[in-house]
Amino acid sequence: MNEKLSRLMDGEVDAQEFERICAELKSPAAVETWICYHVIGDQLRGARGVSPGLTARFCAALDAEPTILAPGAQRGRTAQVATAAWAVAATLAAVTVVGWTAFSMVDAPPTAVARAREAATVRAAQIKPLGDLSADYLIAHQEYSPSTAIQGMGPYVRAVAVTGNEPRP
Amino acid sequence: MNLEVQSLLRARWPAGKSAARSLLAVSLTIAVIFAADASAEDAARWLERAAQAARTLNYAGTIVYQHNGHVETSRLVHLFDGGQEQEKLVSLDGPAREVIRSSAEVRCYFPDNKIIRIEPRTFRNVFPSLSAEQARNLAQYYEARMVVSERIAGHWTQVMTFEPKDGLRYGHKFWADANTGLLLKARLVDDRGEVVEQFAFTDVNINEKVDRDMVKPSWATAPPDWQIKQGSFGEMLPRETGWSASRLPGGFQKIMEGYRTLRGKREPVAHLVYSDGLVAVSVFVEPIALPAIQTGVSQQGGLTVYTTKQDDHLITVLGEAPPAAVRQIAQSVAKR
Repeated sequence: MNEKLSRLMDGEVDAQEFERICAELKSPAAVETWICYHVIGDQLRGARGVSPGLTARFCAALDAEPTILAPGAQRGRTAQVATAAWAVAATLAAVTVVGWTAFSMVDAPPTAVARAREAATVRAAQIKPLGDLSADYLIAHQEYSPSTAIQGMGPYVRAVAVTGNEPRP
Repeated sequence: MNLEVQSLLRARWPAGKSAARSLLAVSLTIAVIFAADASAEDAARWLERAAQAARTLNYAGTIVYQHNGHVETSRLVHLFDGGQEQEKLVSLDGPAREVIRSSAEVRCYFPDNKIIRIEPRTFRNVFPSLSAEQARNLAQYYEARMVVSERIAGHWTQVMTFEPKDGLRYGHKFWADANTGLLLKARLVDDRGEVVEQFAFTDVNINEKVDRDMVKPSWATAPPDWQIKQGSFGEMLPRETGWSASRLPGGFQKIMEGYRTLRGKREPVAHLVYSDGLVAVSVFVEPIALPAIQTGVSQQGGLTVYTTKQDDHLITVLGEAPPAAVRQIAQSVAKR
């Protein structure tokens, strides 16, 4: 299932498989993995945001909270401004806590670490060597890359690397 | 940073001096911005110098290419004579594969497969001179730093790093010879700080005499049982192809578009190149010839290739970028 989710995230499933995975996504464990992969993905991509699911849950939780800081009728304008400022500060603090929790998830619970490793293994397994790619594409590309201009001929090693692509006779 | 500076100032300065306080805060901010800009421009100048050196100097050395746990050693000789370049790259491990590059063509010799590939050069890959504005553009996507000098292959080098600001490019570290600017070592690092690939000279002679013989192919004429696969000259002309990638990572711009005839392909292949100034990503689009083609990601060192299908076309995207970026570009390729 985890591998399927990983491939779904990468947009590498066809319509039929998509339907099947969506059906399986109804289990809480699958949803948890899905969210976990996204938080890991966001973190790896250096995104400074929290995943959409967390935001939605945070908003729902915030809506459900009773409003404690409602300004009283007898208070003056200054008090109202101060109260509003406190509300903003409290919200910011809450967002920070949620954000921090999301970021620290990657190294906090051991299950998340195990899953991150699993995701990385799944990903690594999906990545194939260049084996079947024609050297023509590489040589054509190399000519236009700034890395060739900066480094000189070195990057051409890629096109003729023995461990890389074998030219087709 | 700014908040810290301001609260520090607020704590120390009486209320009446707000103008002086904000002036100081502003000038501190400007100093910080300029310091960042200066190292970005400095690094960009060093890259230009490196590109110039790679083209116009004579040098010969041993280059080590490391990727995915593999190490490959090659001999590289570069001659610049009468305004013309002639280069030779020979792999020292395994079969003696060889690349000869002149201003007219690139010849690849694969002795194990008995093949010679000849690719005409229709584009002179000259690193563009970066304007201050372009250097700033580069600084928008990479954090450039000049690092303390290190000794590589017996030469003191200026070291600079380009750290990406998003997850759609690799980090770069360059070691340029302090005297001539020639790059002696280059490293690509992924978002976990792991080395993706590395090129490094283990020994190099710069500005010493290079004979014409040193850059000649090892096979003066092709052995009779070898196949010669030659691309036709002048095939790669800039032209609208009708294809484009709509979801490019920030800072990537199209630098070339046209058709080329790749060997073994009946129809011309559309080729588009996008670059962020440090790396390039090529998009190839061709009608699908084979009924079942493998799609997905493959990697070799810093090169990522993503193959996908779109209706009756095969889309191959490759470049010196992480899988996330190459996949994003590949999945957004469509008819304009």
